[in-house]
Amino acid sequence: MRRVIGFALTLVAAWIGWVQPATAAGTLKVAVPSNLNTLDPAKTKIGEEYIVNFLVFSGLTEIDRDGRTKPDLAERWTASDDLKTWTFYLRKGVKFHHGRELDAQDVIATVARIQDKATGSVTRVNFELIDKMEALDNYTVRFTLKAPYAGLADLFSDRQARIVPRDRVDTLATAPSGTGPFKLKSFTPGDRVELEKNTAYFVPGVPQLDAVVLRIMPESAAQAAAIENGEVDLVWNLPLEAIEQFKKNPNIAIDSVPTSTWDGIIMNGAHKPFDDPRVRRAISLAIDKKAMVELALFGYGTPTHTMIPPGHPFYDGDLKDGPPDIATAKKLLAEAGLPNGFDVTMYTPVGRPTRERIGLAVREMLKPINVRVDIQRVPWDKFINEVEGKQAFYVDGFYSRPTIDASIYPWYHSGGSWNTTLWNYKNADMDKTLDAARAARTESEQKANYIKFQVLALQDPPGVIPYVINHMNAYRKNVKGFQSSPMMWLDLRRVTVQ
Amino acid sequence: MAFYIARRVAAIALILLVISILIFAITQVLPGNVARMIAGQFATPDVIAAIQAKLGLNDPLVVQYWRWASRIVSGDLGQSLIMERPIGPMLRTALANSATLAAVSLVVIAIGGIGLGIIAAIRHNTALDHGISVVTFLGISVPEFFWGIVLILVFAGYLQWLPSGGAGDSATGAMSLKHLVLPAATLTFALIAHVSRMTRSSMLETLSSQYVLYARAKGLPERVVLIRHALRNALLPTITVLAIDLGLLIGGIVVVETVFSYPGLGRLLLFAIERHDLPLIQATILVVAAIYCCANLAADLLYAYFNPRIRYGRARG
Repeated sequence: MRRVIGFALTLVAAWIGWVQPATAAGTLKVAVPSNLNTLDPAKTKIGEEYIVNFLVFSGLTEIDRDGRTKPDLAERWTASDDLKTWTFYLRKGVKFHHGRELDAQDVIATVARIQDKATGSVTRVNFELIDKMEALDNYTVRFTLKAPYAGLADLFSDRQARIVPRDRVDTLATAPSGTGPFKLKSFTPGDRVELEKNTAYFVPGVPQLDAVVLRIMPESAAQAAAIENGEVDLVWNLPLEAIEQFKKNPNIAIDSVPTSTWDGIIMNGAHKPFDDPRVRRAISLAIDKKAMVELALFGYGTPTHTMIPPGHPFYDGDLKDGPPDIATAKKLLAEAGLPNGFDVTMYTPVGRPTRERIGLAVREMLKPINVRVDIQRVPWDKFINEVEGKQAFYVDGFYSRPTIDASIYPWYHSGGSWNTTLWNYKNADMDKTLDAARAARTESEQKANYIKFQVLALQDPPGVIPYVINHMNAYRKNVKGFQSSPMMWLDLRRVTVQ
Repeated sequence: MAFYIARRVAAIALILLVISILIFAITQVLPGNVARMIAGQFATPDVIAAIQAKLGLNDPLVVQYWRWASRIVSGDLGQSLIMERPIGPMLRTALANSATLAAVSLVVIAIGGIGLGIIAAIRHNTALDHGISVVTFLGISVPEFFWGIVLILVFAGYLQWLPSGGAGDSATGAMSLKHLVLPAATLTFALIAHVSRMTRSSMLETLSSQYVLYARAKGLPERVVLIRHALRNALLPTITVLAIDLGLLIGGIVVVETVFSYPGLGRLLLFAIERHDLPLIQATILVVAAIYCCANLAADLLYAYFNPRIRYGRARG
């Protein structure tokens, strides 16, 4: 009898010993710095929330690492020749986490909710162009647009445009139910988000992890200690200032990818002397973009012509951009009637360290062309209300948008929403190029137009976009299959922990 | 004594009423706007108007205050505008976490501070006394976040003995005790000097008084002189200092909770203020104010218990 019990105990011990590490190994623990405001995708505004958006929900489409649009919930889609009627065909048999099957009415309800002003979704402006929606059958949705638009499928990969179940919209903020690879187990504000595997995910064999835990840790020293002692496996979006802390440990890998998040030197064309294109060009010629990456980002960024990131298929790698050309810059200023340069005040927002450092670098870089810069640091509240869109010369910055069109058009087209607030830039050629890109039927046609856009943007610059910022993650080397995303969300579908 | 307590409780109710009006007024004049917070930096005015109408922010202030106050009295703290979830449960969890951290810290501060103060008083002007002074002053003169990070680097990063932060899983008690060590140590280090210094000086004063001399002259053992006669009187000012420390603890806890990613009341308040979540700010501050009032009440009652002159003097007047 004693031997039987002993044998049973050994078995139990072996079983516990075998099972425990296995379950523990299937959990990926991630440190993120800020608390999440909401779990309702339409209302999300910060990176931490986007992580949950992509883990818990799916879009009609998704963007891959190269910036190309791929099917997600929509198996395929077609557009009419005039690009005004779009039809999306949904995957069949996709189940929400609460068990109901996804259908066309959910897609319509999701878009209608984003279009509703009272929802307050930041992506609402993008979806304003949808005029009519109808369900042709349970799995087919047709959108009629107010104007031709080639990028509709791209828009459906956007962070806020996750498809939500129409019967659960009121509880999305607390108990979201989606079609994504993971489902919400619990959210303790200020502490953690716990997610578990969705065994009914529509891609077979995915995800491989059993669970994901997002730990909210505001202090980067605490994050560094936590990844060192194995409390977390991955630290998301390392602050530039803290990277050295993570580099020392041989068990930790750092992965880096250029995003289309950028900081810019804004020159408001409604103010003198920036109404003269020669002055704007002179300033852009004096800025050393490579040095700017070192000074403002400590090297963790990539110099660029515009917000199209190097590495994107539409990036123009042959375009000459730098080194600074002081002689031409001085000549341009003289032609503009400013042979002795000028004095100007530059505003930078307090608490946005990269933009503050740009301000200091600009002051030094413009000295050789006799542009004397006086820097004024203003608090963020004041910056939004009194500087942005109102002053002549300041440093601002913007997060990546899901599509090339949504990243560029509002800033460079004379009718673009951001252009009319920021730099009041008008260039007929530019307008024509961006409109042509919007209506392009093929990728090569689109690419040709965006190459032309980049040439124009350097010839007649509205301002200077010196770099795009790199997004960096640190992970322990037992995490396999992880790649940082240019959109800064975490794709954990094929990740494992050993 | 009962009358004394009743009077004090009534006074606290009145204070809380005034505070509730003040909080409401202050949150109305805070710069910024919750509708803008929800809609984002780049929202157009019509979007903001739509959200404001939905949230009832256009009603007269008196109506808004009445709606809020009457709900609170009936025990409903309302709904967080940003997180769209009831404040009650969220605040309870955060309060429980902070209360645990504060209670552990306060106990360590009280016992450690009084102990160190007594030792310093008995051995005053020796190396031991000076050593205690230097160490406790080091704690008070360098801000909490510095010591917090030092402790994280040493005990969580280098030695890997303790977790770097969080409150642990509520399911397993042992885990959460481990999570308390570093934040409680940080708070203790920051505040222990108040208590030890106060205990030391009032002990010294008492020890040089006539009645201690008399007690010693009677031939009582030193232990009895110290604990029965000297300490009981010397503790009076220390109790006041402890009540003040509880106030400082509530302030210091905001910093410590952030450094140690500890999900407590301080972090919640910080979040609410950053996001301009009015109902959450109001509820959290009201709770903090109530705690502060109760701490003062407790200190006064303890004081009255130790010193009968106070309770009888006040009760008559």
